[in-house]
Amino acid sequence: MRSSRRILRSSIILVLILLLTSSVIAAFPARQGFVNDFANVLDQRSKAEMQLLGEKLWSEQGIGLAVVTVSTTSPLDPKEYTTALFNEWGVGGPDDSGLIMVLAVAEGAIEVEPGYGLEGVLPDGLVGAVIDQEGMPHFKNQAYGEGLAAMAVAYANILAGEEFEIVEEQEGGSGWFLSFAIFVLIIILMRRQRRYPPGGSGGVGGGGGSGRTVIIPRMPRGGGFGSGGFGGGGSRPSGGFGGGRSGGGGAGRRF
Amino acid sequence: MKKGTIVLIVIAVVILLLGSSVVSRYNQLVELEETVDARWAQVENQLQRRADLIPNLVNTVRGYASHEEQVFADVADARSRLLGATTPEAQMEANQGLDSALGRLLAISEAYPELKADTSFIRLQDELAGTENRIATERMRFNESVQTWNTTIRRFPMNMVASILGRETRAFFEAAPGALEVPQVQF
Repeated sequence: MRSSRRILRSSIILVLILLLTSSVIAAFPARQGFVNDFANVLDQRSKAEMQLLGEKLWSEQGIGLAVVTVSTTSPLDPKEYTTALFNEWGVGGPDDSGLIMVLAVAEGAIEVEPGYGLEGVLPDGLVGAVIDQEGMPHFKNQAYGEGLAAMAVAYANILAGEEFEIVEEQEGGSGWFLSFAIFVLIIILMRRQRRYPPGGSGGVGGGGGSGRTVIIPRMPRGGGFGSGGFGGGGSRPSGGFGGGRSGGGGAGRRF
Repeated sequence: MKKGTIVLIVIAVVILLLGSSVVSRYNQLVELEETVDARWAQVENQLQRRADLIPNLVNTVRGYASHEEQVFADVADARSRLLGATTPEAQMEANQGLDSALGRLLAISEAYPELKADTSFIRLQDELAGTENRIATERMRFNESVQTWNTTIRRFPMNMVASILGRETRAFFEAAPGALEVPQVQF
């Protein structure tokens, strides 16, 4: 009895994990730039201010800023939504130098999350303190634009002086093929040393070689974290989105 | 060309193909296993980080509510059990114990308005909440890698390679049982 309940419970958990991951992949809007006012609640002036700030942070310091408003984050809770969106969009450069601010109107929630690269300068306590001091007074009056803009300025001040790379170093992908070519060459040379004269055998050796090249693409390549499906665009740093990743830190408030 | 030569070449090619397929499968296994271990290390980092935050948090709460000794003792107990746990399974279990002890510690603050308004307490709470979110994120990524690992080594012919190498399926890091229980609705 007990073991069957355990199996049932594990399978429920497995299904939940599957559901969660599939819904995470499906539900996100396409990014529009530094300011993404999907809920249509921001005033023009604050938008322009944050747009300018975003451009400045990206071009001068390599820090990616993403300001997002949504009417709801359902079915995810605001925090899960923020972490997933951050990684889906790849906010920040390859050093994970991104900062996302998500305001969900229906939930009355503000979530701020720094990428791995900014966690040192922006510890969660500080992230929360800025929300309390700069954001909350405005959010309580539904002045979402002003609140977000004031927070963005405060974070930019804290981040002053920090600089990050925005272009990823190119990985040398030819190593495999080179060692493989040497391997084939050695086999051919070894065969030549045998008694049989190298007539049609070179062609057969080549045939064996091409049979092996079919196998190579199946091997998973790339660094340790490549296979999770996370970690945005890689080496194309378009305005603020260069494949930055986040681990779910930061702070949030309900207003 | 002699018939024997052709047979030899064919055998050599077959052996090469088989051998390279085994090698590539082995490498794939190694890579997947490394991923699972690396993800678990990330989970461990965050568990450690959480344990590191606790003494400060307890001291801050103690400043306002010094007589809640039982709760402080429970938290300290749960923390040392987490730090003493060595296997992933034991760490997962100890982490759940810490969850409930911390829940009671934070519940204290509801009864003390001055504590609730204390800025260093608010900061510590943000750090703690952030760390808990990080644990959740790393746990999800760990579970994804475990899922990939488990499916891969159960599939044919990888299951043969895996059993020769003595590799087994890994356990998921399940969320606390209470967190997943669906509330009963009475009509």
